Amino acid sequence: MIQFDRVVKRFGERVVLKGLSFTIREGEILFVLGTSGTGKSVLLKNIVGLLRPDEGDIWVDGQEVSRLAEESYFPVRKKCGMVFQHPALFDSFTVFENVAFGLRRHYGMGEGEIRARVRECLELVNLVGVERKMPAEISYGMQKRVSLARTVAIEPRILLFDEPTTGLDPVTTNAVNRLILDLSRQLKTTSIVVSHDMHCALAIADRIMVLDQGQIVAQGAPRDLMRSEHPLVRDFLAETLEGES
Amino acid sequence: MVGGFRDIIDDIGGGLLFLGRMLSTLFRAPPRSHVVFDQIWRVTTNSLSTTALAGFFVGAIMTVQFTLQVKEFGALGYLGGLATSGTIREVGPLLIAFMLSGKVGAFTSAELGTMRVTEQIDAICCLGANPFQEIILPRFIAIILSSFFLLAVGLFMSIAGGLLLGIVFSGITAEEYLRHIPTIVTAPSIAGGLFKCLSFALVLASVCTYKGFTAAGGAKGVGRAVVSTAVATMVGLVIADFITTLVSDAVLAIALQG
Amino acid sequence: MNEDASTAAESLMRVPPSDPASVIGRQLIAWFGHVADFLALFGQTLGCALTPPYRARDIMRQFHFVANESAFIIVFCVSSAAMVTIIEASFHMKLVIQNDSMVPGFAALLILRELGSVVMALLITSRVGAGLAAEVGSMQVTEQVDALRMLGIDPVRFIVVPRFVACVLAGFVLSIIANVVCVYCAMLVSTLKLGYTAGSFVTAMRAFVDLRDLAFASIKGAAFGAVIPVFSCYHGFRCKAGAEGVGLATTNSVVATSVAIIVIDFVLSYVFSYLY
Repeated sequence: MIQFDRVVKRFGERVVLKGLSFTIREGEILFVLGTSGTGKSVLLKNIVGLLRPDEGDIWVDGQEVSRLAEESYFPVRKKCGMVFQHPALFDSFTVFENVAFGLRRHYGMGEGEIRARVRECLELVNLVGVERKMPAEISYGMQKRVSLARTVAIEPRILLFDEPTTGLDPVTTNAVNRLILDLSRQLKTTSIVVSHDMHCALAIADRIMVLDQGQIVAQGAPRDLMRSEHPLVRDFLAETLEGES
Repeated sequence: MVGGFRDIIDDIGGGLLFLGRMLSTLFRAPPRSHVVFDQIWRVTTNSLSTTALAGFFVGAIMTVQFTLQVKEFGALGYLGGLATSGTIREVGPLLIAFMLSGKVGAFTSAELGTMRVTEQIDAICCLGANPFQEIILPRFIAIILSSFFLLAVGLFMSIAGGLLLGIVFSGITAEEYLRHIPTIVTAPSIAGGLFKCLSFALVLASVCTYKGFTAAGGAKGVGRAVVSTAVATMVGLVIADFITTLVSDAVLAIALQG
Repeated sequence: MNEDASTAAESLMRVPPSDPASVIGRQLIAWFGHVADFLALFGQTLGCALTPPYRARDIMRQFHFVANESAFIIVFCVSSAAMVTIIEASFHMKLVIQNDSMVPGFAALLILRELGSVVMALLITSRVGAGLAAEVGSMQVTEQVDALRMLGIDPVRFIVVPRFVACVLAGFVLSIIANVVCVYCAMLVSTLKLGYTAGSFVTAMRAFVDLRDLAFASIKGAAFGAVIPVFSCYHGFRCKAGAEGVGLATTNSVVATSVAIIVIDFVLSYVFSYLY
């Protein structure tokens, strides 16, 4: 579904991704873990062309995308829904208009259809009766869920999450994690989740990939990763296991 | 409209209280002089090139505009005097002060606003220090002194700009340009110009420290503080311009009669 | 918007400078990078503004914000500036040539050629430009700009273009309003303080200025209106994260726009001087 082939991304003289290669199968939930500043978000933004790699190829759904022009990138982006680290809601629109935004512009739907679709998406993230509110009037956790609804609304086949649970309380964190799992199963989407929460990675990932300084240091199913000897992975695991005991 | 009016009154009141607090701090707990000098140095070096550039162009523009008219009257000899007088007494201080309201005013209010929303100012209070003494007052004094200096530099550069364009554009010699400056630009008009600059500096310093200090609400709040600083400073400058003109006019009239 | 070019220039800046020449060289490289990026954004904006879809409703909303809501403050500021100009002019005309018959012309010249449009433009810069930089900056920081691109919407077309068109129109209209109000205020002060009648004021004024001056002033206003939103958005798009980043972007946009306005004013004055 998505394939990285020796992808290099530099910012000035700092090399953020050092020749990354990996593949994601259709319907898989991949967790990308790593400490802050190891290029996790950069990896996501490369897939959807918000950043472009300096070297290497990126294949999305059988198409090489890293050198597409900005205008011809939209079909690729339409396949990918991205949930940003910030809620990134447009603050001058209501919740309803935020979710309807993508639908209005590209699908030629009637007003009734849009209304139904928005309601459906908001129900999916357990939000009812907030359509008329402005983003500033609802809590941060709700904003994150609206953002998720906006992404899901255009029916992407690939979902990209940039630290979906950072800065959320434990209860909302669990809800969002359950949501990621449900969405992937219900809508049959492929998901990449960037996070530093090993706990939920172990709970819902099909596969976990650990990044350190722009390179993959370990990857595998949660069960395999538990047995990894890499010090960074052990640190991540230790954190989680302590929390449970 | 009524709400907006009340906001304005509110702002003026808040600003005056703020100034009062600043003055009482000045007498009871004056800031350390090296902190003030650090700030003066920072503000001046930050803005010197911009101000000089702006002053130069203002002078140049005025010369170009006046040349056309003066030529019709066949009085190119008076060009230097007229352009310089117009620049120093009115257009120069106002435009250069507008410039500084962006450079110094907006910068300071962004800085103070950031300190406020990232809770640095609260941290200073918690460490038992007085934020007015440590942060606000040094900046306030520094802005007054250095913007006065910067305005003077800007006006000087405007004469240079006018002179250069006089030579290049109007085709008169430097000597001809400068000859009539002393006859038209008299001591009172220079004093009036400097008086204006001083009052502008005062407006600039009070508005930006007040608006920065009272910023609230994260990154957006800082943005809002900067915008309202820029707008309030400009309105304040125009009002100060009006008042100082009336005052210096009256003072000079009395002086000339007596 | 062009992240690669800017980051290349910035990474050069990060290496500690060794000698004055290389410091200046680095500054120049960074500066040229900025100019190139800015011109690219300006070109893109212009291209989008001239091709459909035109999004008239957005433009009208922005126009209302830029023009209607700024009109009062602009009229207030330029009219008091105009009164000051008259008082100043009469004062030193009397001092130097012992009569004030040239005052109306002198003042009208200053107002129409210079004060009216420039003061208006600087006010729009601080009211609209700074606000726009702060708005776009916080959109950039909270990834709203990326979210737009994900939904297949060109941020330049969506954010910059309506404001660009609105500001050009508003600059044109407001500079006419500002200048006319200025001249009326000057006339008012002259009749009250200097003993002119309205008729004699206009006669004296017409010796110096004519309708062409107003036309040139409004062209100036439109040109200023064109650069203000583009500068603001340019700085907004390059905004760094956090409260500090937004503050810095706003400040930089105000400074850059003000300098640009004065430089453009000079260039246009120079060009227009050949058209009289």
